[in-house]
Amino acid sequence: MNSFALYEPTSVAEASEILARHGDTARLYAGGTELLLAMKEGLIRYDYLVNVKTIPGLTGLRLDADGALRIGAATPHRALEREPAVRERFPLVARVESDVANVRVREVGTLGGNLCFAEPHSDPATLLQIFDARVRCETARGSREIALGELFVGSFETCLGEDELLTEIVVPPLPARSAAAYRKFGVLERPSVGVAVAVALDDGHVADARIAVGCVGPIPQRMPAAEALLRGRGVDEASANLGEAGRRAARAAEAVSDLHGAADYKEHLVGVLLRRAFDEALATLGAGPRR
Amino acid sequence: MKIEREVTIGAPRARVWDFLWDVPRLAACIPGASDVRAVEDGKRYAAVVADKVGPFRVKFPLEIVVLESQPPDHLRARAGGRDTMVDGLVKVDLDLALADAEGGTALRLAADIAVLGKLGTLGHSVIVRRGNDIVDRFTTAVRRALENEDAA
Repeated sequence: MNSFALYEPTSVAEASEILARHGDTARLYAGGTELLLAMKEGLIRYDYLVNVKTIPGLTGLRLDADGALRIGAATPHRALEREPAVRERFPLVARVESDVANVRVREVGTLGGNLCFAEPHSDPATLLQIFDARVRCETARGSREIALGELFVGSFETCLGEDELLTEIVVPPLPARSAAAYRKFGVLERPSVGVAVAVALDDGHVADARIAVGCVGPIPQRMPAAEALLRGRGVDEASANLGEAGRRAARAAEAVSDLHGAADYKEHLVGVLLRRAFDEALATLGAGPRR
Repeated sequence: MKIEREVTIGAPRARVWDFLWDVPRLAACIPGASDVRAVEDGKRYAAVVADKVGPFRVKFPLEIVVLESQPPDHLRARAGGRDTMVDGLVKVDLDLALADAEGGTALRLAADIAVLGKLGTLGHSVIVRRGNDIVDRFTTAVRRALENEDAA
């Protein structure tokens, strides 16, 4: 690994100014579970690393009055896995977090770091999109809040400005009478496909359907064309539409043939996992399609 | 990784062929290329190709050898080089075929790209996508350059 200088700022503004000063020779450093490995391999070089864990307020989580979960960007996966408030109010988030990589990675790896590295096989990056999660981004000059899906512009690429930090992830609760499920499959350490589904039922109808697909293509993303085939339909009709919804989602995911599988195989898996996740969500709600 | 593309260019075959040998103009169509020069006219060329995906940066000094040239319809070349910073090796076998087509010339490009070393193991899907993207940008740029020439 190349040698580098380590900054330990004590405020977001200070970190932002350091980033502005050093441009693309500097990078934020949180858990280091991806960045430092890549640097040790010699795949990435930075002259300056900026430790965000020294900034007060970036670690920890709280529940808003409206039930939204606000997660400091430097909060480790392990905290999300174990925190009673998350396990009780967002059990799927806790469950998926408990299955990220391995316990050593979860202990130090942070949710914000995971999202900002934008490695295309991230589980939380896919899952949190069905909660309509937003992220707060700050510079020394101001802040903005964007939908999580907007953060990702490509593999390893985000829309963050050079001096911008992701400081908080806001996860709103699902609508009433909702359930969610996440299914993934892979043959290597990281998943080949991840599909997240949230379903809200109202009097036998699918009042809301949210689908996110990750790992398959360059970015994890919501699948509005597939969602439209389920939303507003009766449970049986929505269930009958799952085949076409899966095909639409698979097309939109821009699957790439790589070591994780051939593109057509991944597309097939999107359909399979979509159906399983949808059925699981329905089962959680005590409703199943009549087949 | 094999990439194949076919584009129709609104220019006669001989002009497209000449363009492929016009080093400065062709170089301008290769994304991230610089210092493109002829080492031995018609036989060996050199170029530096740089690219960046998020935090990953690569810079390959490439040696390009023309293996076969049948004017004005077939060209085969091999390019290779090592990125010294990242320890990555890239090898490209390129096959370009020209044929008369309605409205101009059909340019068929077949590239067999191998990325080896640490770089190859890290982000295979990124490399595949980037390879496709580079080829798309190249063929589009060649078509634009030749068709704009017509307009001018």
